[in-house]
Amino acid sequence: MKFFDLLRTANHNLFRNKVRTFLTILAIFVGSFTIILNVGINAGVNAFIDDQTTALGGDNFIMLMSKDSEAMMSEQMSASTGPQEFTEKTNTLGVLSNKDIEKLKDIDGIDADSFYSPTPLNGTGYVTSSKTDKKYNVSNAMILPPGNFNIPLAAGSLVDQTEDAKQKSQIVLPPDYPQALGYEKDEDIIGQTITFALKDEFDNTFKEFKAEVVGVEANGIVSSQFGMLLSRALYDEMYAFATKHYPENYEAPTYYVMATFDNTRFSEDEIKQIISDAGYSAWTINDMMGVIRTFFDVIMIVFGIFGGIALLAAAIGIVNTLLMSVEERTREIGLDKALGMSSGRVFAEFATEAILLGFWGSAVGVAIAILIGNATNAAVHAPGGFLEVFPTFNLFHFTVSNVLPIILIVMFIALIAGTAPAWKAAHKNPIEALRYE
Amino acid sequence: MKPVIEVKNLVKTYGKHGSAFTALKNINLTIDSGESVAIVGKSGSGKSTLMHLLALLDRPTKGSVAIDGVDSTKLRARKLNRLRNQSFGFVFQQFFMNPNDTVLANVTLPLKIAGKRRKERHELAEKAIKTVGLSERSKFKANNLSGGQKQRVCIARAIVNNPKILFADEPTGNLDSTTGEKVIKLLFDLNKKKGVTLIIVTHDEDLAKLCDRQIRILDGKIVEDTKNKGMTKINKTTKPTKKTKTQKGVK
Repeated sequence: MKFFDLLRTANHNLFRNKVRTFLTILAIFVGSFTIILNVGINAGVNAFIDDQTTALGGDNFIMLMSKDSEAMMSEQMSASTGPQEFTEKTNTLGVLSNKDIEKLKDIDGIDADSFYSPTPLNGTGYVTSSKTDKKYNVSNAMILPPGNFNIPLAAGSLVDQTEDAKQKSQIVLPPDYPQALGYEKDEDIIGQTITFALKDEFDNTFKEFKAEVVGVEANGIVSSQFGMLLSRALYDEMYAFATKHYPENYEAPTYYVMATFDNTRFSEDEIKQIISDAGYSAWTINDMMGVIRTFFDVIMIVFGIFGGIALLAAAIGIVNTLLMSVEERTREIGLDKALGMSSGRVFAEFATEAILLGFWGSAVGVAIAILIGNATNAAVHAPGGFLEVFPTFNLFHFTVSNVLPIILIVMFIALIAGTAPAWKAAHKNPIEALRYE
Repeated sequence: MKPVIEVKNLVKTYGKHGSAFTALKNINLTIDSGESVAIVGKSGSGKSTLMHLLALLDRPTKGSVAIDGVDSTKLRARKLNRLRNQSFGFVFQQFFMNPNDTVLANVTLPLKIAGKRRKERHELAEKAIKTVGLSERSKFKANNLSGGQKQRVCIARAIVNNPKILFADEPTGNLDSTTGEKVIKLLFDLNKKKGVTLIIVTHDEDLAKLCDRQIRILDGKIVEDTKNKGMTKINKTTKPTKKTKTQKGVK
């Protein structure tokens, strides 16, 4: 019997008992549907993060720290819960001394001029404008880090990095601030001057700084992490105010340094190895994004387990369906064997039925998952949908390379499940099978 | 005449040790090509077991069955399957057909197992269906046919591969006498016109007498092997009940 005959026969036999086959396929469908949706959403989220990372640039950005700091941060990022046993290594935020920084600056491949050690602006602050009486919290304010960052903007441009422009008090606002500050469109606030105020913690007065708005950030998971981006001049002015009551010669401890490396000469892994050999640790932009990915991956694993359990139940359903089928068709198997069909062919016929069950179940699962996924993508991007502001974020992302393996795996599981019934069918004695009532 | 089946010292035992039951005890037998042979005996005599062994559906405990001079006990499963598929045809008392398939699909089954192409399968099957006179029914569901028609479909299935030997196990057992006669006529036509060796297992003495030769089995032994004098001609006017002279005790 030829291959296509085998396939045709198996499919024909499968749909002889339509209800039973349908229910078995339904069970496989539930499992594969869950897994495929899960794979789709995982790919969607990762594609979005990739997209954001690529748009952001910063592929020559590097964050330098001591090995202790890195160990501690990794520990905290790995989302371990509950009290951790104390070890000196994982509980030390290693401070970088001036000596350390000099050493790091000497490393070939790292741009010494790009070194930037951000000191957070401690204290209470708000922003306001002449167009509104309201004051708004400042969540996060920093200087644009070194590196070829290309933060997506909804309007305007990034703060000028040229030497001349560094003297100007400029600011880039996060999304939605223009509207809060009384401007209808993002473009309207570009070039306007707003007020940035910081509180003097000792006499409870606020000091106001004027800043020219040069840009507005676009919505995005990654870009919104930056908060307000200040020009060097504005930052220095505010930093001097925030630290004016500190003791003389006080220097805030440096825990990490941001810099750029020459990414035309070294890959991320190479520069990290060089820094590691020098006795320090480094994170690239991908390491930082990896933290976000890990979080999603954990969720995906949990859903994947649910799908796996559903598939296991479906596999038992396949065994059951095929065993019943073998019993029902005992005489037919006897006839086939009497007429010269080999045991191997009988086995192949039932194994093919099992594979086809897996195929139909997962194919229907894929089809419906794609339909639902695409409908969801459309719904969340429609006005009022929760992803309206992220037009590039497709919640579900299906490709041949993430869907096809699932179908193949489900078919393989079905084949394993079909082995026992197929074996039973193949080893029937034709005479006894023909006598079977 | 060339021997098509040669059986030597054939023994078949079921079970083991204390509960062992010997169904066939040292059978020796030669069947010539083109012969029509009836294997007769009461139920439990071992006649079905003998047929199963002759048809290579079962392996003997001892002894050998040679088909066209080839000892089947020395053949591997693959060769045995091919031999059955290409050289044998089977007609069973209970028909054994796939009731939900069409007549055509049922008849093509041996060719499908043989791995023949779809077009060739259909051509050969239509020819076989024509031989049994069911051409107009080839697209019918097998289940919607009468008993006689079903048995004719089974005969079509048995001859579709142009077999050398046709095994018929109580071919008329489930049929009334009129339809039974038609089926018998069909079988003997094949035997006489196409030279197909016909081996019929039956307890119907009248059917047995139509054959060239009757082999009587009792308690697993051949107790009688009778050949008719000359060739009995079966024509349209011949009734299955017509008596023929027999010659006893040829061994």
